[in-house]
Amino acid sequence: MKRSDRITAVVILTAVVLVVVSWIVMHRTRGTVAFVYVDGKVVATVDLTLREPQTLPITGMLGPLVVAADGKGSIRVVESTCPDQICVHTVPARSPGDQIICVPNRMVIIIEGKGTNIDALTQ
Amino acid sequence: MRKAIAPIVAVIVVGAGLATFFALRKLPEPVTSTYFLMDTVLTIKTTGGDAAAINEHLHALASNVDSMTSYYNPESETVRVNGAAGKGPVSVSPEYAALLKTAVAVETIDHGRTFDIAISPVSSLWGFMTKDFRVPAAKEISDTLAYSHSDQLVLSDTTVQLRDSQARIDLGGVAKGYSLDVMEEYLKTVKPQPRQVIVDFGGNLLLYSGGRKRDWKIGIRDPRGQGIIGYVRSGDAFVATSGDYERYFERDGKRYCHIIDPSTGYPGTLNQSVTVITDIQPMHGAIGDALGKVFFCSTAETQRLLFQAAQGQGTVGIVIVDAAGTRSTLGPITFVPAAAQ
Repeated sequence: MKRSDRITAVVILTAVVLVVVSWIVMHRTRGTVAFVYVDGKVVATVDLTLREPQTLPITGMLGPLVVAADGKGSIRVVESTCPDQICVHTVPARSPGDQIICVPNRMVIIIEGKGTNIDALTQ
Repeated sequence: MRKAIAPIVAVIVVGAGLATFFALRKLPEPVTSTYFLMDTVLTIKTTGGDAAAINEHLHALASNVDSMTSYYNPESETVRVNGAAGKGPVSVSPEYAALLKTAVAVETIDHGRTFDIAISPVSSLWGFMTKDFRVPAAKEISDTLAYSHSDQLVLSDTTVQLRDSQARIDLGGVAKGYSLDVMEEYLKTVKPQPRQVIVDFGGNLLLYSGGRKRDWKIGIRDPRGQGIIGYVRSGDAFVATSGDYERYFERDGKRYCHIIDPSTGYPGTLNQSVTVITDIQPMHGAIGDALGKVFFCSTAETQRLLFQAAQGQGTVGIVIVDAAGTRSTLGPITFVPAAAQ
């Protein structure tokens, strides 16, 4: 192998490595994350890709709530002090765009991530 | 040999360099803000521009609309108009008068049979104003319907009058959509322009990119199950959904939703959800919001008949899930159903 051939090989190899690295960076996903907001501020973030169930106590504007992730990608409100219990009866959230809302507690759970191909959800 | 490889190497190196540049270039991160307003959530997600400041300003604009239109706030123009019912004309702001005219213009496409801002005394009977839900007697409903119609309303450019002392108006059916109109007017003027803004106001959407984005994917919630029934591909738009699943109560296994059919005084039962997509023009947010109720309280046949008139008011397309769960669309839109579960 000539010296110049070796240089060419190194250049091509470097280029290939660069492309692979940048492809990985570009397609790096944060996974699916649930953001829990109370009165406009993020009070908790939950990685929904984790396989372990988690229970989170949240302090709402009206009183305490309990939010639970099931370790299978879903999150829901299991307890709330609000009168109508709409948040407790909302179907568990799992896909980006899903929301669980508790108006009396000014709490909203928003799912974000790159696991979906929609920009926004109308309901 | 070397001569043949040289250009290939050059292309690979330049290509790799470009790919690396685009991958590592710092894309602006979206700023998401949530607010509580009009008994629902306002979520704003802005990418690019002075995102946090834009979100705050959009919230302030929506708050102004709430202060103007609220059914409850004693300072609102709605409360002043309702308070003077049966007494005489009340002077209102030009903005309020214009919004009322827009709402009434939507009513006229179906002669007020499917949407009426003066239906609120009937909504109150059902308990939707106070959340003390009950099923009223048929006589109560027919007695109340007698004065729960927009023919009670006398409009001028500066005054509003309700003839009957028991008549009431409620702009809850257009206020969220109108807020999106006000926000869009502002977004057009912002400098530097954000790359894109997604406003979700209680499920009503404004998708804004200054006309650059042609492939928004708007997911439509499954009215009975989890997730979406599919998505619509669209340019910048206002999107309004009227569904029977957001606010309702159940008695004896029957569902009573908050959208009252003005022709009967009973909650609409013909459809599970209707999504109206309107193009970006002044008042089309408010119009789309109101048209959602029109189509929600219409049969499939009436929907087809009304669609041309709705197109004349800026409607691009409509996605309907009827009472049996059957999905259909009106207009030249691309609806992509979610993959069968």
